[in-house]
Amino acid sequence: MAQEKLMILRKKNNISNPANTVSRKTAAAQRSKKNKWYKISSLIGFFAVWQFISYLNVSNNWFNPVFLPSPSMIIETGYTYIVRGTLVTHLTDSFVRMFSGFAIGVLVSVIIGMLITSWKWFDNMVMPVINLIGPIPVLAFLPMFLIWFGIGEGSKIALIAYATFIPMLGYVVEGIRNTDPYLIRSAISLGATKFQVFRKITFNSALPNIFVGMKASLAFTFSALVVAEMMGASTGLGFIIVDSKNWFKMSDMFMAATLIGLEYTIFHGILTLIENVILKWKREGVSSAVEE
Amino acid sequence: MSVVLKSVYKAFEEIDGKPKYVLNDIRLHIHDGEFVCILGKSGCGKSTLLNLLAGYLKTDAGRISVNGQEIDGPSAQRGVVFQQHALFPWYTVMENIEFGPKLAKRKDSKKIAQELVSLVGLNGYENKYPGSLSGGMAQRVGIARALANDPEVLLMDEPLGALDAMIRQNMRREIIKIWEKTNKTVIFITHSIPEAVYLADRVVLLKEGRVEEDVKIDISRPRDVKSPEFLEYVDFFEKGLSDQEGESLITE
Ligand SMILES: Nc1ncnc2c1ncn2[C@@H]1O[C@H](COP(=O)(O)OP(=O)(O)O)[C@@H](O)[C@H]1O
Ligand SMILES: [Mg+2]
Repeated sequence: MAQEKLMILRKKNNISNPANTVSRKTAAAQRSKKNKWYKISSLIGFFAVWQFISYLNVSNNWFNPVFLPSPSMIIETGYTYIVRGTLVTHLTDSFVRMFSGFAIGVLVSVIIGMLITSWKWFDNMVMPVINLIGPIPVLAFLPMFLIWFGIGEGSKIALIAYATFIPMLGYVVEGIRNTDPYLIRSAISLGATKFQVFRKITFNSALPNIFVGMKASLAFTFSALVVAEMMGASTGLGFIIVDSKNWFKMSDMFMAATLIGLEYTIFHGILTLIENVILKWKREGVSSAVEE
Repeated sequence: MSVVLKSVYKAFEEIDGKPKYVLNDIRLHIHDGEFVCILGKSGCGKSTLLNLLAGYLKTDAGRISVNGQEIDGPSAQRGVVFQQHALFPWYTVMENIEFGPKLAKRKDSKKIAQELVSLVGLNGYENKYPGSLSGGMAQRVGIARALANDPEVLLMDEPLGALDAMIRQNMRREIIKIWEKTNKTVIFITHSIPEAVYLADRVVLLKEGRVEEDVKIDISRPRDVKSPEFLEYVDFFEKGLSDQEGESLITE
């Protein structure tokens, strides 16, 4: 037989396990812990430098410290708001406006995106208008919204929803259009109706894109929130900024701005958490192009 | 159930105002429980034929009927398996297989899916997502999913085309096993001659949109790919596929 002629070079590798190997999973966990630590130190460093510059300023008399309040002064200001009991009101009012506007904007963009991808005539009718008015900054629309929806919560939420909707729509439409036609064929051959294909296939397929869109649109949501609160509100973080300007309370302004940043970061983080749970299926299999 | 094609024509494009037929006067009568392989080179119209059978495309002329009833669009009675497996990536193995029975509001959908998981040998993988499966395993899920509706006909478009040689051999054996257990009518598309000869009761050789040969494979199963009769069939189809001598042949 031919096998006798085969020269066996090596029967079996001696499996040796170097003592210092760490499993990939452990290594990845360690890396992620390290990354988290770096991120936190970056923030701590930022505030430390800021505090230090303020300290140098006060001790060297460079300029009036009122112009650049130190982090500790801002915390003090925050404390007085808490003592007065108004901080929670401002925070929750801003959050409710932001969240309602965001949710409405996302929901409407999904519905309109679905209609645009279902009917060509709807696409032809709606898209030219959106392309025309979409690039106009929302600030320009605020007076109209105030006239249309009144000076109450309606106009603010409508403006925030609109500001979220415009950038979202593109992501939704792209997500729906990129659905693999083979998945749609499979579903139809398994007995799915048109609506079931949308609900179970197209929507799920567009979901990763929708999450990217939500995170990208969030910056516009927050811009609109601040704009809406700066004109015609009596509560909220945006209101604190304009109101403090009138009284030259720099420290209050900085506190409100910091809280806006904080609220954005927390909400962005929550979105990421939800995304990780819902898109769990994406994390199985190939996770990165090249291992680090 | 029997599948009948009566003078089916299909064109996508026109040349000088005349349709350029990708399928030209296809006549076939596929019997209940038969395993038919459609064999042909790339671009000869195999997928177009399957898409017509599945109902994704409409014929330009002629009729296709399943069990006496003319087809009108896709149906859960014709299960389809694709080369790219087309599993729903957001559903687990179990949820993918359950998809059809659940849409049909079957109360025993879990049980059906569990039985199919065993049939295709994927016990222990029920809760995995398709992204973590190998090509061979994904295709087993694809087959199980298509079988879950208990369709009359199973249509398979080069389901093993994306797998490597060792796995292909295995999967061929598995497919025959599954077919023998389920007694489905199977229409299986391939461009591999040995694959067609190994699997089919009958091989339909497609060439430039026409049925060139329609041959019964008279070898008992399990088939030995090295036996003289097997190689004789392979040789026959190789001759049938090459236009002139010296042209490259399709084997695997
Ligand atoms: N949707 C389509 N539009 C235009 N031409 C097509 C379309 N689908 C297939 N064709 C053409 O029809 C021919 C047969 O294609 P296909 O059935 O996919 O071949 P096979 O599956 O045998 O490789 C090819 O020349 C291909 O370019
Ligand atoms: Mg093909």
